[in-house]
Amino acid sequence: MTRKKRRLTLIGVAGGVLALALGLVLYAMNDTIVFFNSPADIQAKNVQPGTRFRLGGLVKQGSVQRTESQQVSFEVMDGQSSILVRYKGLLPDLFREGQGIVAEGVLENPDVFRADTVLAKHDENYMPREVADALRRQGHWQGEGKASQQAQ
Amino acid sequence: MVIWIILLVMTAAAVMAVLWPLSRHYAVAGQVDPNTQFYREQIAEIERDRARGALLPSEAEAAKAEAGRRLLRANGLQDAAVAAVGEPALRRRRAASALALSVVPVLAIAIYGAYGSPHLLSTPSVPVSQETAKLDFGTAVAQIEAHLAQNPQDGRGWEVLAPVYMRMGRVEDAVKAYESALRYLGPEANRLSNYGEAMVLAKDGLVSVEAQAAFERAVALDRTAVKARFYLARAAEQDGQIEKAKAEYTELLSASPADAPWVAVVREQLSRLGAPQPGSAESGGPQIGSEDIARMVSGLATRLETQGGSAEEWARLMRSYAVLGQRDKAAATAKQARQALAKDEAGLKTIETMARELKLIDSAP
Amino acid sequence: MLVEAGHFALALALGLSLIQFVVPLWGARANDPVLMRVAPATALAVLACVGFAFVALTAAYVTSDFSVLNVVENSHSTKPLIYKISGVWGNHEGSMLLWVLILALFGAVVAVSKNTVPARLQANTLAVQAAITFAFLLFILTASNPFTRVMPAPGEGQDLNPLLQDPGLAIHPPLLYVGYVGFSISFAFACAALIDGRIDAVWARIVRPWTLTAWAFLTLGIAMGSYWAYYELGWGGWWFWDPVENASLMPWLAGTALVHSTVVMEKRDALKVWTILLAILTFSLSLLGTFLVRSGVLTSVHSFAVDPARGSFILGILIVFIGGSFALFAWRAPLLRQGGLFAPVSREGALVLNNLFLATACATVFIGTLYPLALEVLTGEKISVGAPFFNFTFLPLIIPLLLLLPFGQTLAWKRGNFLGTAQRLYAASGLAILVTLAVLAFTAGGPVAAPLGVGLGVFLILGSLNEIASRSWSKGSPWAVVWRKAAGLPRSTWGTALAHAGVGVTVIGIAATAWGVESLGTMKVGDRLKAGSYEIRLERLLPRVEANYREDVAILMVSRNGQELGNLETMKRLYLTRGMPTTEAGIMTVGLGQVYASLGEIQPDGSIGMRLYYKPLVLLIWLGALVMAAGGAISLTDRRLRIGTPVRAKTLSAASVAAE
Repeated sequence: MTRKKRRLTLIGVAGGVLALALGLVLYAMNDTIVFFNSPADIQAKNVQPGTRFRLGGLVKQGSVQRTESQQVSFEVMDGQSSILVRYKGLLPDLFREGQGIVAEGVLENPDVFRADTVLAKHDENYMPREVADALRRQGHWQGEGKASQQAQ
Repeated sequence: MVIWIILLVMTAAAVMAVLWPLSRHYAVAGQVDPNTQFYREQIAEIERDRARGALLPSEAEAAKAEAGRRLLRANGLQDAAVAAVGEPALRRRRAASALALSVVPVLAIAIYGAYGSPHLLSTPSVPVSQETAKLDFGTAVAQIEAHLAQNPQDGRGWEVLAPVYMRMGRVEDAVKAYESALRYLGPEANRLSNYGEAMVLAKDGLVSVEAQAAFERAVALDRTAVKARFYLARAAEQDGQIEKAKAEYTELLSASPADAPWVAVVREQLSRLGAPQPGSAESGGPQIGSEDIARMVSGLATRLETQGGSAEEWARLMRSYAVLGQRDKAAATAKQARQALAKDEAGLKTIETMARELKLIDSAP
Repeated sequence: MLVEAGHFALALALGLSLIQFVVPLWGARANDPVLMRVAPATALAVLACVGFAFVALTAAYVTSDFSVLNVVENSHSTKPLIYKISGVWGNHEGSMLLWVLILALFGAVVAVSKNTVPARLQANTLAVQAAITFAFLLFILTASNPFTRVMPAPGEGQDLNPLLQDPGLAIHPPLLYVGYVGFSISFAFACAALIDGRIDAVWARIVRPWTLTAWAFLTLGIAMGSYWAYYELGWGGWWFWDPVENASLMPWLAGTALVHSTVVMEKRDALKVWTILLAILTFSLSLLGTFLVRSGVLTSVHSFAVDPARGSFILGILIVFIGGSFALFAWRAPLLRQGGLFAPVSREGALVLNNLFLATACATVFIGTLYPLALEVLTGEKISVGAPFFNFTFLPLIIPLLLLLPFGQTLAWKRGNFLGTAQRLYAASGLAILVTLAVLAFTAGGPVAAPLGVGLGVFLILGSLNEIASRSWSKGSPWAVVWRKAAGLPRSTWGTALAHAGVGVTVIGIAATAWGVESLGTMKVGDRLKAGSYEIRLERLLPRVEANYREDVAILMVSRNGQELGNLETMKRLYLTRGMPTTEAGIMTVGLGQVYASLGEIQPDGSIGMRLYYKPLVLLIWLGALVMAAGGAISLTDRRLRIGTPVRAKTLSAASVAAE
């Protein structure tokens, strides 16, 4: 087998594998990617029920309600609006009222979001970045100023 | 002094690490070239494999042929290399030595000078012998905390814990602990004074309205509460009522026995107030705080004036001036902050809150 | 005093690394052995300086010297000694110092191996290494200095993030860093080869141990991190496709490819340019990982402090080294001599295929990890690419690779015979299919993917054993001879077999997760909760106080089919200094599976939330990784110098001559 033929075989196989990977990536990009929305975005972007996305915002004070068998509901709000979130499971350690969280799940109807994952920050200095950005845009969060004051 | 010698020795050692190989004469000629050595060993290995029966003779021949070809090629390349003595080599060596002699110390001293803390070199490092004592101490605190978590109405426990918190530097916790103690044990002059003092420390020395109220209640309960009266005097001083402060200090002094432990402190305050009007920039500041504090404050001020900063930083500068007794500066800072943060709604609010707290309101434009 | 001396030593190391960069490069260009000899001497001096700085910082931690800002921010006098020590690298500044320490350590090892590494190659390699050291030292000293002092010193520190106060996390960063930084040596050797315009089997022979060491440590580091996430985060998951995890997976995939391509280069003198490229890519991905994790671009438990200045500094380092090395590659690679030829169906061909799949899989992870970041920068739109994406793109690329692995391992060098190879795998594949069918029948109604995965894992293990067996066993020979032959096999053969079997073990563990069961409930004392055939009963709830935290403990009795197995404790902790709560999962190992209980919130009425999992065979995931690393270690001990001969090919001498 000559060098040229060998090279052609190699290029053929490599091209095949790369094409496969590209196809998979493009297909997966359409299908599996999850967008991030704040409660206000849901109305602004007219998100349809049944859509899967990540919801981020602050847990509204006094809105957390627990019922039987670890069913929890609470409201997530940003500066402009809020939405009811239902979740079944254990909440993360740092889940507290007034804290920023990110929930991933499906919009059940325009007023209810059913979460299957709830993420809170990893430590006391950490605000989920998406939440921080969304709130900063609305001029609500001054956590950084506070943090810098503490640091000095 | 010793430390400077150590640093010098370290630098010398580092430079020597570079000079040493440069000073030695070329003596590598005898060294086997790893390139050809590799293939020689490879051929020997093939021989051994054949002897053990791991390779068929025909396989071994093929392998040896290939290794032999590579060995020849490696030898061919080898000829081009080595041999560098004489004038240019000497010049190169001198240049490299000069480079090492200059770059290593200069870079190290420049970087260390910029980021290190050589002024701390002379002070001995913090003694940390009470390690185990501290550990037990921490455990004890945790135990009291756990106990109080279950019996929060145990006011005695809070009262024990509060000064411990103060000593650990957990001032905020101390304030809360005194608060609980007051709630469950009721007001008492000493307790109120301590509570107020914790609040003062939590605000970096500023006697807030709440703290002042606590001290006033303490004095109402017991005219002779020294600590409360001392802080009330200081509150007056921070409010700019210098004469009132002087009067209160004097009164405190005359009411106390001459050998009381606080006399010296009060005298110091008095003598400070006796000095030129503490409103002017140079006189008041440096005497009150240590020089470090004054320097930090002026550093912050310069930075905020030139580069701007967050509302919290402005507010802190205002408070610092107030604590240093420079009320006119605090007021001026408030004015500057209002201009700098004109477009920042939330920031302005922070400034106003601070101004109210410092009772600078009347000085507002 | 010690702290300041350590700080000064670090500044000295900066100057020394600059010398180590400039002088040897000059020496190699001018062909001056004296200048080249500066490289090993300075490399040792740099190690001494950085090592001293590290000792100084560790001493500050151990003695709780709170005049050092870094100690104040990350330590506490009541913290157990081990976490005082691990606290040194449990923060941004200290971890960067550890990074450079390992870098210097590896440089020093290259420096002392003077009889095996040609002087020119050594000089160039150490120079490139010094450039990396210089960049990171500059970063540490100017942008994240661990020796910053505070005066007056506070009486007490702020404690280490409780999530990091864990034995797993105490050793995870050093393992991972040895992996990341180990690839810097392969990178430096690759750049040196490009600078010198010369690369051959000797080069591959020298680089292979480095790549293998780095790879084995990275494998351990990733496994350790995964196990930590599994038991510490309390969600029972072991891999989240989190960007931070991906940041370590990418260099691992590229490094795995590099380990394999170096073998081809060492034995067959082929795939030179590709190997160089892979070495550069692998370290670039390591740097990218460091950047992603340390810059605060991603928020996670790893991004200790979000400081844009640091982010842009590391980005600068990234651009200089990745850009520089690729430019060097583009300029010099065409000058390298082409390597030997081989047929597509051969061990080399199989290894090329391996590299192809690994590199492509790495690329999909790269896209999935960086696409959201790029999109956000470009359009401001925030998306999250999670497990579904990676499962969909990564698995279809890895599964064929694993299926082909036993074939590749069995193929002969230079030219192979696919049919013959397949025949030699009859037994292994037959058994694997049998196992698959048996498991399928046994777990009828369960998930189908799990038995298939177990079958794949069994195939991988048997395929690896088959390689050993077929090389030592022949019909009719007595066991003693077989044993002697097996023991006489090169240790690299054993290492390969073991590492590949380890992959099989991990695959079985992953496949078995599909059989995991989970339940969720609210419990009061005396209540029961069931998951699969396991049941827990809440025995007691009690508070407990330790030196730096207090906790509420739920004591559970675990039983299987009514038979009691023992107690299990799961806790909610509150770390006092930071006021931060954490959950400690209770884990009971039963065989290779685990019962995993995680405590939820405690309600005012005394009831608790509880999540219970039973995860069969889950330990295999990490045991497999241990076996892989052990395989790497055994392969490392093989000091033999061999040439890849077309073993058992019938017509060989003519072919091999023609090939050259």
